[in-house]
Parts: sequence; structure tokens; C-alpha cells
Amino acid sequence: MPPARLPALALLALALAACGGGKAPDAASPADPAAAQQGPRQLNIYNWSDYVAEDTIARFEKETGIKVVYDVYDSNEMLEAKLLAGSSGYDVVFPSARPFAQRHILANLYLPLDRAKLPGWGNLDPAVLAALEDVDPGNRHLVPYMWGTTGIGYNVAKVRERLGADFPIDSWNLIFDPAVAAKLGDCGIAVLDDEQEGFGAALIYLGRDPNGVGGGEIEAAAELFGKVRPFIRYFHSSKYIDDLANGEICVAMGYNGDVLQARDRASEAANGVEVAYVIPKEGALRWIDSAAIPTDAPHAANALVFLEFLLRPDVIAPISDYVSYASANLAAKPLVDESVRNDPGIYPAPEVLARLVDPKKLPENESRARVRAWTSIKSGS
Amino acid sequence: MNGRKPFVLYTAMAFGYAFLYLPIVAVIAYSFNKSRMVTVWGGFSLKWYGELAGNTQILDAAQRSLLIAALTATLAVCLGTLAGLALARFGRFSGRNLLSLLTSAPLVMPEVMLGLSALLLFVSLEQLVGWPERRGLTTITIAHVTFCICYVTVIVRSRLVQMDHSVEEAAMDLGARPWKVFFVITLPLIAPALLAGWLLAFTLSLDDLVVSSFTSGPGASTLPMVIYSKVKLGVTPEINALATLVILFVAAGVTIAGWMLHRQGKATG
Repeated sequence: MPPARLPALALLALALAACGGGKAPDAASPADPAAAQQGPRQLNIYNWSDYVAEDTIARFEKETGIKVVYDVYDSNEMLEAKLLAGSSGYDVVFPSARPFAQRHILANLYLPLDRAKLPGWGNLDPAVLAALEDVDPGNRHLVPYMWGTTGIGYNVAKVRERLGADFPIDSWNLIFDPAVAAKLGDCGIAVLDDEQEGFGAALIYLGRDPNGVGGGEIEAAAELFGKVRPFIRYFHSSKYIDDLANGEICVAMGYNGDVLQARDRASEAANGVEVAYVIPKEGALRWIDSAAIPTDAPHAANALVFLEFLLRPDVIAPISDYVSYASANLAAKPLVDESVRNDPGIYPAPEVLARLVDPKKLPENESRARVRAWTSIKSGS
Repeated sequence: MNGRKPFVLYTAMAFGYAFLYLPIVAVIAYSFNKSRMVTVWGGFSLKWYGELAGNTQILDAAQRSLLIAALTATLAVCLGTLAGLALARFGRFSGRNLLSLLTSAPLVMPEVMLGLSALLLFVSLEQLVGWPERRGLTTITIAHVTFCICYVTVIVRSRLVQMDHSVEEAAMDLGARPWKVFFVITLPLIAPALLAGWLLAFTLSLDDLVVSSFTSGPGASTLPMVIYSKVKLGVTPEINALATLVILFVAAGVTIAGWMLHRQGKATG
């Protein structure tokens, strides 16, 4: 699959841009608002596929008269390669906060936001803003967009059949307890192929800090995975969506939005498979996606208009409905459709919220050691 | 013994065809699937064709990809023919080996390197001379042409090498100027190679994901880019419907091209 090479080449682009491209952000002065108003009013957006509601863009164009060029990407790496090369031409992009936006801010790739132009800023959840503080000190560059968790998706009937009707399904023990995993192994356990998620979940199950460094975390997690490795069918980051929906696998470590997608697909196909999502009681990693304006955005003024548009509760709430993710907009929550708002997998209860952990940027040698250990965990050696 | 041989041959042939075409048949069949899940049959329906007709994002990208592919193929055939002609007909000029090497290098170069180097070229050009002002259709087409030229060159060159040189010499003996020889004699004789090269370049360009991703800019997403970005949330049968239409389109193109080649073959004996 050629695109699998993309991460590697993003790194290459990073290396190359570090030599030559570093000039670009300084050379391009922040777009002059007056100049932006003169030409045809335009805005170039670069976003994940299907990450706004179906009518969001049309509504924005109608209200503001700004013409939107909307492109989609498939990975943070692709976005990163374009930003680092310079003059990407995009005005608003949607990087995941960790580790991508964090790197980008350090590399000076984003414009500081003019808060005076963002009166809707007060709608944002202070807790999410605080969680981004280490990524973006002072919340100067990033507008938090959607957030979610990495938990467990499972096939209700098959798991109940194997573990009994009374077994509490609320823990990482479904994957990490050899006695439990052994019963589920034959119907399939899938784990995300991502060392941050893998180590995070294992360390949380062990009651340790997933961001811990130098206390034998890697060895402990590797030992835990070693015991349950025979019961894990595969490591993959998206295959589990269809497999859960088809009933091919029973349990998957997965992103909440993906698992809910599997649930919806199964109910749409009416194939008798019921999929559910749970945030384990031990805790889980949280991810946050954000919106930002690249330093060399040609229409930075229009980009601010769009960000302010996204801060409006009546705009972001239908997006939450459509993508089944919680937005960082607290004021929008009452407007979100009941089925989404009351889903504990999307908007967790406060006590669950308290157990969510934001993965921190690890020292370079630690993250390299984790990648190495992850490779040997996957190969089962 | 003789009676058994065709059976074995036919079985092998059936396996061969199945291997090549069953996946395509599956794509076509599932494009009429009522269910949203690509792998579960939920009854016959044309609804994904309806959805596709209303999906401007995909249709725009498809149109853009076809335009880029047609431009790329045409330019690559023009330039590739010149290169092929130089390599096959101009004797030993200085730099011939270098030209031969340079035109075939992109054949073996990883796409990733081509894409990245094209991206860096366009970015530095923009900074130095202000052109291309931003990346888009033009830059994608230029990048595609660079790697399609080599395929055309190889095809045209081998056709020219096989061709009987004496026909051209005879024309020149009878007083035709070199340009006239080229347009009246050489070009018609290598036309099948040009057509084959054009189709190959068209397909390669239509297919390309990596190089396009690197060299595209705002408003210039090609079809493979849009489809691949949808993988994150799962591919809908809409893509199957689109694939079916593309297959029909390609099948029609290949049939027409084959028919033309066949006629040409008859005409020249």
C-alpha cells in the first residue's frame, strides 16, 4: 500500500524543510487583511474527509459571501509535509494537537490568533483549553475542534456469550488480562497499530502513568503484551471498523468515533451484530483535534471569519451530530442531538472525564525506544 | 492424451481470467448493493449512483483527474516521441547515453522521491521567480508528464528500432524533406506506439496518488486523493459506483483503441 510510506517521507520532508524551508514562514508576512479583502473573497480549507456537517460550508459561503475551496487529506503526515514545504496555499487546517500541532507550533508554522476577531472564544470548554496548554502555551495558535477517546469497542452478544451475562464489561482487562483474553481470543481481539495508544492503554491498565519515563514503563508494558499476545489477532488502525460491524472480531482497542461508526454500520446493515463502546474504568487516552491558520495563509483574514463561524454553537452542534464526536464548544452541548449528547462514549460523565489522560510529548530517545519495543511486541518476540 | 490438453489449458485460462477480473466483477456487483457496508449484500439498489450524481466533491475530482490525465498523456506523447526519435534515429551524438539514462531513470525511481523532489522544485521556483504562483492543476500535470515521458520514450524507441529504416530512406531519395518524411512516413508507421504510449500515460496519471498528493494545492484534489482520504471513515459503495463507471469508460476506450490498432494492422499488412 503506497500511502503507508507517507510517514517516512513526511520525516524526510521535515529534514529537508529544516534546512531550506525554514525561511518560508518568515519571508511571507502575515497576510494583510486589507489586501485580502480586495481580491475575490476566498478561503482555502484543508481538512480531514467528512469532518464537517454536510451543509457547513454552503452555509458559511451564503452568510459571508466568501468562496470556499475545500480539500481533504488522509493523514496528519500529509498535512505536515505540505505545511513544512511552505506556501501550501491553505488558510485553515485541522491538525491533531498531539504530536502534530505541537511540532508545528515549535516550527513556527501557525499564525497567532487575533482574539479580538474571535468573540465566540468564550464558548470553548476551559478544561479542553487547559489540556492544550502544554501543546500551545497561552492557547495562542490553536482553536480546539473535536475531541475523543481511545477505549474498547466490542460485540455485545459474543462477549456476553463467552464471559457470562454478569461479567462487568468496563475494563481494559478484556484485552490485558490473560484469563479473560484467552476466552475472547478465538473470536478476535484487535489492537491499534500505534505505539502511543498501545503503551498508553497498557500502562493505564497497570495503574501507571502513560507519560512516565525511565521507571521501567516500556518493559512493564512489553511484558503485559507478551502474556496476551497469542490472543491478539492483529494490530491495525482502521481495519477493525468493518470487522466489528461484520462480527469478524469481538473486541477492539479503538477510537470512539470509529467504534460508533462500526455500530451504525452494523445497525444499518441489520446483520444482527450489536457493537458498543466503553471507556474503561481505569482510564483512557484522550485526543484533541484543532484548527489553525498557517503562517503563510493567503487569506488569513477570511480564515479568522471562518474560525469565528465554527465557534458559534449553532454551527458546531450539527457538526457534532454528523461526525459523532464531542466538540470543544461547551455552549454547543445543549444544541447537540440527544442521541449524541447522552452517549457516554461521546460525552463521558464527569467522573470518567477525570480519568482521561492527555499523552505528553516524550523525550526523543524514549519515543524511539517505544517504537522499537512496539515492533517486537507486534511480532510477538 | 490429446483430448485432455485443451481441458487443462481451459482450466488455466479460467483461473487466469478469474484472478484478473473477479475483483472487478465484485466491485461492479457491490455498486448495486443497498447496504452501506461494502462487504455485506443488502439487496439490489441504484441509490449509490444517485448519491454519486449529487456528490460534487467526487465528481469534480473525477473531472479534474480526467483532464490532468488527458493533458499529461498528450504532452508526454509529444515529448516522449521526440526523445525516442532522437535515441533511435540520430546516430551517435554527444550526450546520447546520458539522454538514454535520464529518460529511463524515472522508471525505476520510487514515486515518493519523484513527488518530493517535484514539490521542492515548485516551492523553490515560487520563491525565486514567482512561478508557479501556487500549486494546482499545472504543477500536477508537469510532475505527471515528467514520469510519463519515459514510458512513452521506451515504447516509441522500440517501435522505431523495429521499423524498417529503408522506407524513410526511400522517401528521402525521392526528394522528401526531413520534416515531410517524419509527418508522412514515420508518424503513421509509429502511430500504434503513440496510441499505446498515450493510453499508458493516461492510465498512469489517472492512477497516481503519491506524486499528485505532493504537487497539488488548494482546489486541486485528484480522484485518488479524494478516495484515499475517505478510507479513514470507511469507503462507501458510492466509490464502487464510480469505479463501475470508470471501468465502463476504460473498457470502451480500450475497445476503440484495439479496433483502431486492428484496422491499422490490416491496412499496413
